[in-house]
Amino acid sequence: MSNLLQEIEAQIAGLKTAVSRQNVGIVREIGDGVAKIEGLTDAMLNEMIDFGQGVMGLALNLEETEVGAIILGDYTKIKEGQEVRTTGKLLQVPVGKALLGRVVDALGRPVDGKGPIRADAAYPVEKIAPGIIRRRSVNQPVQTGIMSIDAMIPIGRGQRELIIGDRSTGKTTICIDTIINNARLNRAAEAAGDTTYRPLYSIYVAVGQKQSNVARVVSVLEEHEALAYTIIVVASASDSATNQYLAPFSGCAMGEWFMDHGMDALIIYDDLSKHAVAYRQVSLVLKRPSGREAYPGDVFYLHSRLLERAARMNEKHGNGSLTALPIIETQLGDVSAYIPTNVISITDGQIFLETDLFYQGVRPAISVGISVSRVGSAAQVKAMKQVAGRLKGELAQFRELAAFAQFGSDLDAKTQAQIERGRRIMEIFKQPPCRPVSVEVQVAVLWVAQNGFMDDVPVDKVKDFQAKLTEVLSTRKAELLAALLKEKTLSDSLTAALKAAATEFKQTYR
Amino acid sequence: MKVSKQARRDAKQLFRSCLVNGVLDENRVRQVVQEVSARKPRACLGILSHFRRLLRLELARRTARVESAVPLAPQLQASVRDNLARIYGPGLTLSFAHNPTLVGGMRVQVGSDVYNGSIQARLAALQETF
Repeated sequence: MSNLLQEIEAQIAGLKTAVSRQNVGIVREIGDGVAKIEGLTDAMLNEMIDFGQGVMGLALNLEETEVGAIILGDYTKIKEGQEVRTTGKLLQVPVGKALLGRVVDALGRPVDGKGPIRADAAYPVEKIAPGIIRRRSVNQPVQTGIMSIDAMIPIGRGQRELIIGDRSTGKTTICIDTIINNARLNRAAEAAGDTTYRPLYSIYVAVGQKQSNVARVVSVLEEHEALAYTIIVVASASDSATNQYLAPFSGCAMGEWFMDHGMDALIIYDDLSKHAVAYRQVSLVLKRPSGREAYPGDVFYLHSRLLERAARMNEKHGNGSLTALPIIETQLGDVSAYIPTNVISITDGQIFLETDLFYQGVRPAISVGISVSRVGSAAQVKAMKQVAGRLKGELAQFRELAAFAQFGSDLDAKTQAQIERGRRIMEIFKQPPCRPVSVEVQVAVLWVAQNGFMDDVPVDKVKDFQAKLTEVLSTRKAELLAALLKEKTLSDSLTAALKAAATEFKQTYR
Repeated sequence: MKVSKQARRDAKQLFRSCLVNGVLDENRVRQVVQEVSARKPRACLGILSHFRRLLRLELARRTARVESAVPLAPQLQASVRDNLARIYGPGLTLSFAHNPTLVGGMRVQVGSDVYNGSIQARLAALQETF
């Protein structure tokens, strides 16, 4: 029998040819991170090209007589006349839980000096978004911890919500607060052994940012113990345009791993304006025809295929989700520019941050009037819906009436009351950075405000009232908050308990 | 030199006219070059330089280079020639070379396709796996 086995093995070994077929080409032009290669007749779109010495490239332009490839890595080592070959592989990045707590570059290689990453799997960077049948509608909330967002512009798991505004209006801060709050919720659920809570992992993709900014983000997340639930993908301003172009897609692949395995993930693209600029650079060097504002014709497709990969999967496909928070920087509040309008039409809503509000002291500087979440109250817990349902409308009325109040005209009591209530609500929504508020405290505070307990508190003392109320509720009425968190709805008994607690606090407040 | 789009298009058209049944006809090529040089149309140099490039690429596509560690016997050369003609069709320009750095085996390059059965390639592949 062993003779037979040996015989067959020898025959099979004889059949296996030791000759491999490769497809090669010669580099004819190299510069600006792009190589033009002659030959390479079998190259496929987005295929990895091996330039030797550990340098890889991506074939992006397939022309009749040559192939245009962008280079991932150090392109100064490549010379004209060098032989390159195809690999038959697509670009892949390592994915999995091993990446949590790490800072990686656009190709998934660690840059934080904490050693190599032992990833379980590798996902392709470019992937077709899940189809219609595999999805379901969004109905789970992403608790950002920011009161104005959770109350009026709620974000759901699987939604794409654009954060748009001028420079220095607090866009990144909103995203960091969301990461911190979700890390806090993850930790609390782990500590309590709650298996029904679905943890939300975060991925922060920094495209074209200053490295000092990224370092600051990392240190803030570490300080709030949120880094353990976060992957940071960095393609800083000093990285090549190729890396900046690929980083969001790599981050998305990492997020898709969580989604495919029935978990929830949140991905933040900071920011897509710089991503479009990097893609423009790559396209222009590849001599692709340019369109409006010199952007290539497919700049919409660039962002749409990226953002469509964020979805909520149905039960049959794991019930996972990937929520995307893209950031776009506008110039002088111009939301009708090319890239902002593109991304607004792709996402399921936007949070618009205004410089005027920021300098008036309204921080986060969210312009409630034009911010919208197309998922809306489907992504809110019932308790929040009960207290915040009418808030947006009331604030819209307040903004209209506030204009009248400026003229000092005599107003009737009802109008005056509306204005005063509106002022106090605006005051409540002011929040310092990195101090997310839990949803039960938000519900309690909003209920207290909506039921007139703050109407006689001076506007400049409202924040102090809120802080002290929060402290009292968290320390002496902790079981009330716990019940609110558990039931997720304001039942009659909870409402009564809340009323009693508020009345008691009000009596002692000075 | 910067060749205009029109010159490139003209050169491509001229090149296509030199192909007979998909195979390059040398006489036609010489004729084309002579005519263009004689008539000197606008962007003549551009047309000719792009034509030269297309010619170079087509010839490279139809050129097979067989390198071996030891000089091949005539029967082996003939069998290689037949095999290549079977895969790539007629009209291949074959050249045989002796390359001792291959250590053993053969390396055949036809256009962009490389069939490398040499020991040098296998060693390089082995090194990569480490």
